[in-house]
Amino acid sequence: MTPQVAENGAFPVAVRSAGWCLPERSVPVSELPELASLGESERRTCLALGVESVRADEGMSSADLGERAAREALDRAGASARDLGALIVVESRAPETLLSSEATRLQHLLGADRAVTFSVGGLGCVSITPALLAARGLMCADRDLGDVLVVHGSKPAAAGRYRHPVTVNGDGGQALLLSRRGPVRLLDIVQETNGAHWDLFHVKYRDRPADQWREECKDPSTYAFSLAMESRGRLSALLSGLMERNGIEQADIRGHLSQNLSMAGFTFTEESLGIEIMPVCRENLQQYGHLGPNDVFHNLYTAIERKELQEGDRAVLINVSPVAAWSVLLVEIGPQEPTT
Amino acid sequence: MNEITSEITEFLTAVLRKPVGPDDDYFELGLADSLFALELVTFVEGRFDLTVEVEDLDLESFRTANRITRFVQRKTGAPEFTETQ
Repeated sequence: MTPQVAENGAFPVAVRSAGWCLPERSVPVSELPELASLGESERRTCLALGVESVRADEGMSSADLGERAAREALDRAGASARDLGALIVVESRAPETLLSSEATRLQHLLGADRAVTFSVGGLGCVSITPALLAARGLMCADRDLGDVLVVHGSKPAAAGRYRHPVTVNGDGGQALLLSRRGPVRLLDIVQETNGAHWDLFHVKYRDRPADQWREECKDPSTYAFSLAMESRGRLSALLSGLMERNGIEQADIRGHLSQNLSMAGFTFTEESLGIEIMPVCRENLQQYGHLGPNDVFHNLYTAIERKELQEGDRAVLINVSPVAAWSVLLVEIGPQEPTT
Repeated sequence: MNEITSEITEFLTAVLRKPVGPDDDYFELGLADSLFALELVTFVEGRFDLTVEVEDLDLESFRTANRITRFVQRKTGAPEFTETQ
């Protein structure tokens, strides 16, 4: 089929299939080892986030999680890694080794020998967006390019899973097989960043053993006030801009989904934007915690699986990162037919 | 106490569920989270009929009731006041 450029100028990119790897082992947050070392206030905050459990497998690396998810996405589509036009890996929070390439490791493991392969990142959980932008760019530039596989294995960078006062990180891999056609169309992709908050959260590692790595917030007040209020303004503008340039109104949107940080985080987004976040987000937060860049599509596909989103529905995926990156994605659900 | 400050401390006391004085720094005391910040800014915007723009998002203007009072006066052109203790 000859690709058509959409009315808003965006090239049509669709998710042909998606796969996940969520480890079987579920750990209740109340049993996380790091709780014992937290102060009373931090402990109370952690337990009030609304995360009941996370999936965790210390024997699986980010690359392992990504590889399994990638194989599932390819299998579901009946596609071969050899035919991939590109493989884009959303970088892990902490690579197992420096200097080496997790992207080409995955290329090798999958046998995606002909795929243009590289990694993207730098935006925390918003890093899925530059991966989609890169994929769309490649597909626009080369109309003969094969499908593009976007993969991320999410594991916490630090020894502990709790990021005070934000969320609890779980383990999970995700792969999206992007194609010219597919049951989930990416109608629009928008992203903004503000470099002023580039190290609001960080993990110091050079001068200490790995078991002492901690996700630290440099200034909790800046996080709670400045970034939160900037997010209100940025997301509101991004959302209205998205509606305007696609010629649609809020009433045309069947559901809003966001990344999963905490119950209070959902309420903040809802009250800031005057919207309702789909219930599936809260349910996934409870069960899986925060899966970084994988949250929004995991939520989307859970909603599709439960038929809470159906053919013809449009949804907006909202992502915010503590490195001050914001993105909104407009997707449209097509027929959920086999794509082989 | 200045009328603006009084309204703000009343709001803060209700939301934080503990007495808040005009110079209490609720951020420093660890009482503030993003939902509180949203409620606070929404209250200030609604009650004093102003818009908190991105360039207004200096935490120093919102740390205490007295500082918010000065911010409100700057934004609305209300007369200066003597800070209350």
